Amino acid sequence: MRRFDCLKAIAPLVGDALVITIGGGSATEWTHLRPGEGNLRSRTLGLVQSIALGLALALPKRQLLAIDGDGALLMNLCGLPTLAREKPSNLIYMVFDNGIYEASGLRKTATAEVADLIAVAKGAGIGEAVWVSSPEDFKSRVLESMRQRKFAFIGARVESGPEYVAEFRSLPRFDVSEVESAYRMMRYIEKTEGIRVVPLPGPRH
Amino acid sequence: MAGETGPSMILEAMKEAGINFVTSLPDHNLAKLLEFVDKDPDLKHVPLCREEEGIGICAGAYMGGKTTAIIMQNGGFLNSCNALTTTALNFNIPIVLLIYYAGDIGDEGFSTLGSVTEPVLQGLGIRCYVLRKLEEIRATIKGATTLAIDSRRPVAVLLTKDVLGMRR
Repeated sequence: MRRFDCLKAIAPLVGDALVITIGGGSATEWTHLRPGEGNLRSRTLGLVQSIALGLALALPKRQLLAIDGDGALLMNLCGLPTLAREKPSNLIYMVFDNGIYEASGLRKTATAEVADLIAVAKGAGIGEAVWVSSPEDFKSRVLESMRQRKFAFIGARVESGPEYVAEFRSLPRFDVSEVESAYRMMRYIEKTEGIRVVPLPGPRH
Repeated sequence: MAGETGPSMILEAMKEAGINFVTSLPDHNLAKLLEFVDKDPDLKHVPLCREEEGIGICAGAYMGGKTTAIIMQNGGFLNSCNALTTTALNFNIPIVLLIYYAGDIGDEGFSTLGSVTEPVLQGLGIRCYVLRKLEEIRATIKGATTLAIDSRRPVAVLLTKDVLGMRR
């Protein structure tokens, strides 16, 4: 199974969902498949789930998607019980497990040898956590969760390696910085939710 | 000093400052404040397992229109330095950091932690105010929140045993 095929399967279906992706291949592929202001990429390993959780709690009517990797999730396993306590119905968390630190030198992660992230999530209190077996299975889980407005935690074991990395690196580069993409997302939220996020600059005069 | 006066004043000051979303990790000295935060219907309270995730959760909540604070011990602040740097500071996210100051003057224990707290905040470029007097709670928390929002950066308020009603 390839991550790109999974993302390709859902990209046309997510509407105006806000999407937080871990930096690296996931962000490059997702931005290529579904460009726009509703995407934010984070390079703080582990915080994709947390940023998405905060957004999901603040905007309970808005669909949130979190696209994470195994190396990143391994760095914030503490976040799983927190996610389990909240389980916002508008959040779909996805972890693409390729068994390597794909953006950081291709060394093995612990999932390549010992750890099962879905078992860890279940142990943390996320009974919904599930491995999918194909891009079609992935797509139907995402669609079901979006339609029924229920929390989902989806894992996909995907292939990677030098050839795969070379493939996504041939995709176009980001045209805005991370910081600009954060501001774009905040302005997009303001526009689509009818709220103010970015404070008015002071002073008043 | 009464055990509840300071914590209830801190809670009132937070609400008056517009804070409506709080993440936290307990400390013995924060117990009363967290009890009040948890019971307050005007605040969304997300209890954490580690402080770093709280910075991410506050960042997301801010992007969704909330005014956020994290309540933690200074050891937890050290746990959250990468998130503060690469998420909060990097994305211009205001968060009020309400940090219990373990290892403060007059304390027994945690002196190593106490000694690095202010220098690390300074190293991160995070403005920091030490709260020692009940009569300064309101203005300090309100001012720190205004400063965080206006500067679009985290601002720290160090909560001492004196204001938490825990100084023996």
